Amino acid sequence: MGQHMADLSIDFAGVRLRNPVLLASGTCNYGQELLPLTDFARLGGLVTKTITPQPRGGNPPQRIVETPAGMLNSIGLQNPGLEAFVEKQWPLLAGLDAQVVVNIAGFSVEEFGQMAASLEALAGIAALEVNISCPNVEAGGDNFATRPQTAAAAIASVRSRTQRPVIAKLTPNVTDIAEIARAVVDAGADAVSLINTLVGMAIDMERRRPVLGGITGGLSGPAIKPVALAMVWKVAQAVAVPVMGIGGITTASDVLEFMVAGASAVQVGTASFVNPNAGVEIVENLRAYCDEWGMDRIASLIGSLRC
Amino acid sequence: MIDEQARLLSNREVAADFYLARLNAPHIAVRVEPGQFVNIQVGAGVAPLLRVPLSVSGVDREAGIIEVLYEEVGPKTRALSQFGPDAVLPTLGPLGKGFVSPPEGTRVVLVGGGIGVPPLLYWGLALRQRAHQTVLLVGARTANKHLPSELLAPAADAVHLATDDGSLGHAGLVTDLLRHELAEEGPCAVYCCGPHAMMQAVAAICLEAQVPCQVSLEEYMACGIGICVGCAVELATAKGDTDYGRYARVCVDGPAFDARQIKWGSTWPT
Repeated sequence: MGQHMADLSIDFAGVRLRNPVLLASGTCNYGQELLPLTDFARLGGLVTKTITPQPRGGNPPQRIVETPAGMLNSIGLQNPGLEAFVEKQWPLLAGLDAQVVVNIAGFSVEEFGQMAASLEALAGIAALEVNISCPNVEAGGDNFATRPQTAAAAIASVRSRTQRPVIAKLTPNVTDIAEIARAVVDAGADAVSLINTLVGMAIDMERRRPVLGGITGGLSGPAIKPVALAMVWKVAQAVAVPVMGIGGITTASDVLEFMVAGASAVQVGTASFVNPNAGVEIVENLRAYCDEWGMDRIASLIGSLRC
Repeated sequence: MIDEQARLLSNREVAADFYLARLNAPHIAVRVEPGQFVNIQVGAGVAPLLRVPLSVSGVDREAGIIEVLYEEVGPKTRALSQFGPDAVLPTLGPLGKGFVSPPEGTRVVLVGGGIGVPPLLYWGLALRQRAHQTVLLVGARTANKHLPSELLAPAADAVHLATDDGSLGHAGLVTDLLRHELAEEGPCAVYCCGPHAMMQAVAAICLEAQVPCQVSLEEYMACGIGICVGCAVELATAKGDTDYGRYARVCVDGPAFDARQIKWGSTWPT
């Protein structure tokens, strides 16, 4: 005991991470609420809730429902908008001893680029994560992430307006996620993160109505981990850029599985709703695993799956 | 706010499917105010996944004990009802904003429906200690869905019951009892917790009678601390100076709200 101290640090697309565990977008808001309950300095970083150009009220309730080993959400990108984010949320985030990835979205190709440009002068942003899973108002409401051409257009728009690392967040609700991954990398993404939530639905049979105000929602939690793992493995084969693994990560062992499958880092999401200190506890257990196995560098695990 | 390893002291059925759990949680006990709640973990993080948010119904600060009253209605409350003494349950609290006090000397009418009664018990006791005259009105479907009188009595100088089926107390709605109370002279304040339809009706009666009314809302929650933005409630007046103008988060902006703030509308099941 104590004689060995594994190196948990990761270089993710040029961003130095203390360890491979970040808090996922939409599961830590803008940091403030978690301050009394967790220690950001012990995490790899955090990803903000999605910011859009204008404030958004979000979807009508009910927005949340638990499902077997998971939950559905239909929040609807409720957020204060770019201007209020910079004025009210950013100062706290800038003061954190943590890598802060800002998640952005737009409703047209141009809006994606404008978001990136507007944040370019803000010192301290580690990277931009681009949420391309929102409806494309120019193309009739289909979401950007579901077709290679629109996904690439949104990423290219961001790429042309920022010097920062660009992480494209991919949706699993597609026929071939590897094809989308290749398209966004060709468009200039420095990394990809996956998976966003799976589209799901819950029905209240007594009223014969959808449970969620948004009718369908996004499925997250342990239930989606095997799907996420398979997609991370598939995408890691398909692209040469780093992959951020997301989907149902609850334990340190989950993190190791994602890394072996090809993820360079991971995001913990729904687990923080159950335990606001989940990310930090996972890091502690990760350290214990590495020490137990006599591993020098956790980075050596990345993509080491034997098959 | 703390995530405390709370030790269950007792957990007993006090009415049909209604349970009273007493927990040793000294850090929460010294801080929790009437109307606030706790979020209790009842699973190991897979199934049930999310915690159970429950209003605190009573506190013994010196002994470090909090009480929650809950109805077994689904997998999470069923899991909670199975725990016996000495079970250790991670308990996050105190959460949310509680009730705002009425002016000194005001007569208080507490209106509860079904399992909405618990926060009013802690509040009623606190108000009586501050020399407020309080009356508690409780509505339920039927007699065995009423909490026993020994739990209700400490919260008010007088308790009046109503049942939908007439099996106990007034045959009819709790709002009938409220109208009767509001007919009395003198300044008065109403605090209400129950099903949405009942709270909506109470809010309307109070608005008409020009009596201040606070409601304690319930909405499906994940985190209980404001990070998931799931427990949204639509506000009647979107405030331009807030980040989330149209919807408030019940867990951090409430659960207690001035009834006039709420857009009582069609999105809720009745």
